[in-house]
Amino acid sequence: MQIRDYVLRRLMVLPILIIGTSLIVFTLTRVGGSPVGIYLSHEMTPQEVAEIEERYGLDEPLPVQYLTWAGGMLTGDWGWSGVAAAPVRQVFPDKLGATLELAVAAGIVAVAMGIGLGTYGGSRRDRLPDHLTRVFSISGAAMPIFWFGILLLIVFWVGLGWAPIGRSGADIFQSIAHPTGLYTADALIAGNWTAFVDAVWHLLLPAITLGFGTTAIITRMMRSSLVETLSEEYVDAARAKGLPEKLVLRRHARRNALIPTVTVIGLSFGFLLQGTVVVEIIFRWPGLGRWMADAVLRGDQATIMAYVMFTSVLFLLVNLAVDVMYAYLDRRVVLGT
Amino acid sequence: MAVGTAVRRPAAPLTEGLGTRVRRFGEIAREVLRNPTTLIGLILIVGMIAMAILAPILIEPNTPNPYQMPRDWGALNEPPGTAGHPLGTTQQGGDVLYGVIWGARTSLRLSLIVVSITVIIGLIVGSLAGFLGGKIDELLMRLVDVFLSIPELIFALAIAAVLGPSFGNIILALAAVFWVKYARIIRGQVIHIKQNEYVDAARVIGDSSLNIYMKDVLPNSITPVVVQATLDMGNVVLIGATLSFIGLAEAGLAEWGVLVSQGQAGISAGRWWASTFPGLMVFLWALAFNLVGDGLRDILDPRTESKR
Repeated sequence: MQIRDYVLRRLMVLPILIIGTSLIVFTLTRVGGSPVGIYLSHEMTPQEVAEIEERYGLDEPLPVQYLTWAGGMLTGDWGWSGVAAAPVRQVFPDKLGATLELAVAAGIVAVAMGIGLGTYGGSRRDRLPDHLTRVFSISGAAMPIFWFGILLLIVFWVGLGWAPIGRSGADIFQSIAHPTGLYTADALIAGNWTAFVDAVWHLLLPAITLGFGTTAIITRMMRSSLVETLSEEYVDAARAKGLPEKLVLRRHARRNALIPTVTVIGLSFGFLLQGTVVVEIIFRWPGLGRWMADAVLRGDQATIMAYVMFTSVLFLLVNLAVDVMYAYLDRRVVLGT
Repeated sequence: MAVGTAVRRPAAPLTEGLGTRVRRFGEIAREVLRNPTTLIGLILIVGMIAMAILAPILIEPNTPNPYQMPRDWGALNEPPGTAGHPLGTTQQGGDVLYGVIWGARTSLRLSLIVVSITVIIGLIVGSLAGFLGGKIDELLMRLVDVFLSIPELIFALAIAAVLGPSFGNIILALAAVFWVKYARIIRGQVIHIKQNEYVDAARVIGDSSLNIYMKDVLPNSITPVVVQATLDMGNVVLIGATLSFIGLAEAGLAEWGVLVSQGQAGISAGRWWASTFPGLMVFLWALAFNLVGDGLRDILDPRTESKR
């Protein structure tokens, strides 16, 4: 099958998946009862309650309510967030900026360390470094990030006093403009070195915490695919023509071992995304994840719905991009159903 | 029927006699013991399950509800090594050791319930899809796709949020999320086996569908399901503890995630113990089942063995 057909077919399924997800999200939030609660106070008479229900269309039949909500999501009306005391749409960009910054930083940590460790272990198969990286990668999948983050805080924040908590120093954040919403990028644009150091310093621990599990996954994939490519004939050929082992590794083996690793990197994006909820709670990071956690505990349905829809759509798009990229990188892949 | 006697089933695991099956189990057990990491995982699992089962003997149960942390109002925030509280106490006066031990029981309960429910749902959905095929298969698999398009933890979080904070609702939320993989595995197996000649042969000699299902499909699906279920015994506790850490279990429940969350408030004052020990238990629990699950996969599925 042609890659173009494959991409087209995947693109055609995408809206179905998004509609399906939205149906699940809508049904789910209605199972918990009417969302009218967030607009009510104790002094309201039944008549006032009915008026509010009418104003927000909550007295309509469920299918109509669904269409109203879905239409709102598409046109940018995402409802009122009780937790943020503002329209969801209005608070969203700032929080998204904070979360994206964290996720990207964690992704960089994970990719750099994962490929490095995987290469280190895989090229020393069955020797001590290999065993150590394997223990590391197995423990990564089992590590509760909420505990790992707290351990880091106990050591580096409380014990050694090296690391700060939160997203920024109290006044430095205010001192620069924020055109992108990413603190590190904004600091660079403003040319403010103090702010940049402040941003990176605050980002370090949460990024390591969030990236830990992904580092382990990437390490594992990199190791096993490197072990596999190192046993291929073309690697032997490269050795036979007298290339030093270092060059064999760098030019031939590692490059090919990266193909399956790239897929794993893409697919672990969802892992990073869901990890932000916990990491943002622990490090008091003012992003989407902590907002979602608050919304969950206080029954803020509009926020929950917007957050779940947004993350799922993002997740679907990234997965699609990864699959397409993989199909390009490795033509042998079977593009079956 | 003369044709019937000529048709032989292949040597699929469960169509063997009891003797061969016992011998096969012995082989698997020997291989498990030969791999050091799997063995470590197994020892950890046995230890923690023993702790869960023996909890009432190891430490006196709290009355009336042993799954609720006992409070010692005279000993708040005591460090480890205090008399009567070897692992210290929380800021509510809960004994950390009690939480660690009864938390194992809570986790065992959680993982057993969720894994059994999800295996059964997956078995039903996957078998229906694979056997009936056509429109029903298409519909069920699209449903599976939709379920897979929401990240696991966020999905469980949203469900638990809607149902309200309680441990029972965490169980429901996890069950709603975890069945999907089993449905996929079993559907794949059913379709794979349906294509085999011996199933056609069984049909020819007049075996009923149910009979074929029980004798051929189920036994052949067991291996991947066992591997996934072992991994999920760990994952369920990991995600369950994450949900209760966020605040979706009852406060005061003897559960590891709840304890880590309570201990979190005290770390800036140097009280490291209330979070550290329960969190370590979550890690060890998930690690143990991951080690054994990985080991089992390598032994039971020779295709992945070369990758090790």
